[in-house]
Amino acid sequence: MSETRLITTGTAPKRTWTSISRKPVRLSDALRVVVLTAGALACLIPLLWMFLGSFKTPTELAQRPPTLLPESWGLGNYTEALSRFNFVQYLGNSVIVTIAATVLTLAINSMAAYALAKYNFRGKNLLFLLTLATIMIPLQVILIPVYQVVASLGLVNTLWGMIIPAAATPTGVFLLRQYMLSIPDELIEAARVDGSGEFRTFVQIVLPLCTPALAVVAIFSVMWRWSDFLWPLVVAQSEAVYTLPVALARFNAELTVPFNLILAMGVVSTIPVLIIFLIFQRQIATGIANTGIK
Amino acid sequence: MTTAALVTSRPPRTRRPGGWGIRIAPYLFLIPNMAIFAIFTIYPALNGFNMSLYSSSNGRTFRWEGLGNYEQILTSAEFWTVARNTAVFAVAYVLLATAAAIAIAVLVNAQGRGKTFFRAVFFIPVLVSPVVVGLIWNWMLERENGLVNTALGAIGVPGVPWLVDGFWAMVAVVLVGVWMQVGFYMLILLAGLQSIDPALYEAAKMDGATSWDQFRVITLPLLQPSIVVVVVLATIHGFQSFDFIWTLTGGGPVGATMLMVQYIYENGFQSPIRFGIATAGGVLLFLVVFALTIVNWIVSRRREAV
Amino acid sequence: MARKRMRALPALALASVAAIAVGCAPGQLEGEGDEPQDVQTLAPEDFAGLTLEYMYFTDGPDEEGTRQLIAEFEEEYDVTVELEILPYADLVTSTLNRLSGGNPPDVVRLTGLTDFRDDLLVLDPYLGEDYREQFLPGPTSAVLNDDDEMIAVPSDLTMNGPFINVDLFEQAGVAVPTEWTWDEMLSAAQEVKEATGVPYAFAMDKSGHRLSTILSEYGTYLLDDDGNALDIDRAEAALQPIVEMMASGDMPADFWLGSGSRYQGANEIFLAGETPIYLSGNWQVAQFVENAQLDWTVVPNPCETECGGFPGGKFMAAFEQSENPALAAEFIRFMNDAEQQETFVTVGGLLPTRVDLSESGVTYPDEAAQEAMDVFLADLVDTPEEAFESNGHPAFSASATALVDELSTVVAGQKDLRTALTDLSAEIDALVEETTS
Repeated sequence: MSETRLITTGTAPKRTWTSISRKPVRLSDALRVVVLTAGALACLIPLLWMFLGSFKTPTELAQRPPTLLPESWGLGNYTEALSRFNFVQYLGNSVIVTIAATVLTLAINSMAAYALAKYNFRGKNLLFLLTLATIMIPLQVILIPVYQVVASLGLVNTLWGMIIPAAATPTGVFLLRQYMLSIPDELIEAARVDGSGEFRTFVQIVLPLCTPALAVVAIFSVMWRWSDFLWPLVVAQSEAVYTLPVALARFNAELTVPFNLILAMGVVSTIPVLIIFLIFQRQIATGIANTGIK
Repeated sequence: MTTAALVTSRPPRTRRPGGWGIRIAPYLFLIPNMAIFAIFTIYPALNGFNMSLYSSSNGRTFRWEGLGNYEQILTSAEFWTVARNTAVFAVAYVLLATAAAIAIAVLVNAQGRGKTFFRAVFFIPVLVSPVVVGLIWNWMLERENGLVNTALGAIGVPGVPWLVDGFWAMVAVVLVGVWMQVGFYMLILLAGLQSIDPALYEAAKMDGATSWDQFRVITLPLLQPSIVVVVVLATIHGFQSFDFIWTLTGGGPVGATMLMVQYIYENGFQSPIRFGIATAGGVLLFLVVFALTIVNWIVSRRREAV
Repeated sequence: MARKRMRALPALALASVAAIAVGCAPGQLEGEGDEPQDVQTLAPEDFAGLTLEYMYFTDGPDEEGTRQLIAEFEEEYDVTVELEILPYADLVTSTLNRLSGGNPPDVVRLTGLTDFRDDLLVLDPYLGEDYREQFLPGPTSAVLNDDDEMIAVPSDLTMNGPFINVDLFEQAGVAVPTEWTWDEMLSAAQEVKEATGVPYAFAMDKSGHRLSTILSEYGTYLLDDDGNALDIDRAEAALQPIVEMMASGDMPADFWLGSGSRYQGANEIFLAGETPIYLSGNWQVAQFVENAQLDWTVVPNPCETECGGFPGGKFMAAFEQSENPALAAEFIRFMNDAEQQETFVTVGGLLPTRVDLSESGVTYPDEAAQEAMDVFLADLVDTPEEAFESNGHPAFSASATALVDELSTVVAGQKDLRTALTDLSAEIDALVEETTS
């Protein structure tokens, strides 16, 4: 880090009136911290309000000027929101779909990325462009045709119907391809020369090297599948198959919108993804570092 | 990368002419992913384009319109208002999001202590459901008693009619949109920053360059590939924004913040259902985003070559 | 040369796929295959073991009632009923999808019969031609198709009306009359506002349906059986006070403008005690009983040219393409029988559509609720038939939205009221043509 390089030998740590650290606090550092803290507050305050609001009653929420702290920290909103639908089942479905879709995504995206990165075949660029183009199609355009396809494949109202179609994420292919571009060809050649088949090379050499990028795609996939709403809406038909975002949408559409319940559901939906992000965030930073966007 | 050490020092061999395995390998690798694309995205997209040539009010029976839907859309005043709103929003959003993401990424990167904390904090808004984001900000931007105007009032700024004036509503929508996504772009840029050799900065400092010079001459150019990725993604997000805007302003006041996807949604899923119009609008949106992305890509390729 | 040819190949492949896809129609073409469906003859004893899909949306309290009744139905006929609850907008999306795929649900709850009119099952062969006489004439007029057959059953009614903040009225020393005109009501509201210092005198939901209440009392409607029925002079008289109140701050204009095309209810404003009068409907009663911390009551609608309020309601319908139309029809009949409908409306805080129930009155679980609902029920009797006609017209939902949009332009100062109403009339004409052709 650049900080350590600035210390010249022979200087004892200076203690001044306002700092005990090795160097005096520079104005630019202070400014930077101020700006960052302001930004952090701008990010946190609305979320803090969501959290505080999730404990308030409808009357409290209706107060103008608004109150800050809830009158009681009771979990009434949470229990009511969760009792309005089969929370355990929806949660279970969300979890199953998210995990299965992520595993599938990692598998097929990495294979496709490998092909696009490390082979030179005709139509490669067209395919890559096609992949990119699919990000841009608004889902509303293809909602009915997709349903027809899903129905004709018999995937309607099944968890697989929610897992498979969404697994071919174009962004995932994009990110993994960039990363794989930076893997030296010599490694792969060496493996081939050693007699390793293509698939074995892929699994034993290339994939382990891609762990950071795979972690990135995994986290994004978890994020997207967990909060995905339109896909499950299209595919699911019975309560047994619904996922959590459907419950949230349902509250929002009632004639007298229960804001207190929506906020509670908002908190409940955010926490799992937040935890996963906090656990994996180191991976993300190092991961994207090497998606070859250099 | 330390992996370089693994390369043995064998003399390069000529490639064995096609074991068929290696020839079909790329296609086999591609098939699972592309098959799913083809079945669940591309084929339905073609069908969707086809559907835009018909009109329907129940998804089951269709009436041939030819280009009638497109004609109807392109001659309606409402569409052009929506198109203008979408363009304004997308441009403002992409510019602001990219600039903010760059600024935040650079600052976070330079920060020693608390770097992990800041990185996490800026990313959290990305994780919250857009519907809830819209609701929270709708509450906070109320003219009379919203948190934002109260805070502004405390420092002597008069209350802003955030959600009830056409101009300010658009400002609010752009700001909230950026708030919601900047962490995502920041992360991509942070990674790009980590690949810049610190020695360059050292050398610049020796030559007497100020921080601003360093940023302008070293950081920005070397970060360019990441910036392109961010701009492409931001463009797509910008043009397809709907969820949070719907709960934030509902497209108001009086249609000032109604964007393309809302137009599609209202025509496709609110009475009276005009499904052909909705699909045609979707096709138009796709074509615009696609064209912009291609332009973006070509421009960035050219710059890289230079 | 070879390379160029090769590069063309994938493009050619894509183009041919596109051509094939485009060549085929995405579904059934209008007018094709419109033969009338055969009536399924299935005796109730044979229902055992079948499954029924009921697509439903909830406004909160009614869900419990529905589940209760479903349990009863399942037991009596030994069938399985799958209840799918969705937000209304998504219910429409889902129905569109499923119709396109050829597997719609068996029974659906709808707020309007505009969009899927052609897909609904004609119920007369299953329920009998006299079945409609069990229901009030107003709601029944909305469920008849062009051939005078029933394509749905009205399952519950709502009625619009004013809620009063009793605390504020008492504080201001203003009496709450049992009948008044709009002028009287609004000046009473003003008095209370001034005496108590609350921010607003009057609040209402941002909805064309609620605005229709005022229009109805001034003697004009958006629609009637023949189409556009808007009398611009009367509408102007009706809405002028509203516009003035928004301009002077007696009504919350921000609330009206800040939510765009999205529906927004003003119940929060009322619950916070910021307005003495709130125009909404009976579905608020259940929520107020539970959550309100102020003393409130419901009063009859003010009379101008007409009395009474404006109705709304939900329908239960079956789809033609259902696998078991006889079972679907039987389910609808069961759910709307006297005993079952009574359970449904009392639990859900709704009004009955059956003649027998509205004559005998309905007992609601809570006393405060009972008082309120009785007022609504009385207003129901006073409501003119034209109001039902207007609400039941296929173009009503879209016209109501247009009304809100036009009024918003007036509130935002972009148009004056008369111009807005003239524009609205033109829009209603276009909508009528679109939805009835």
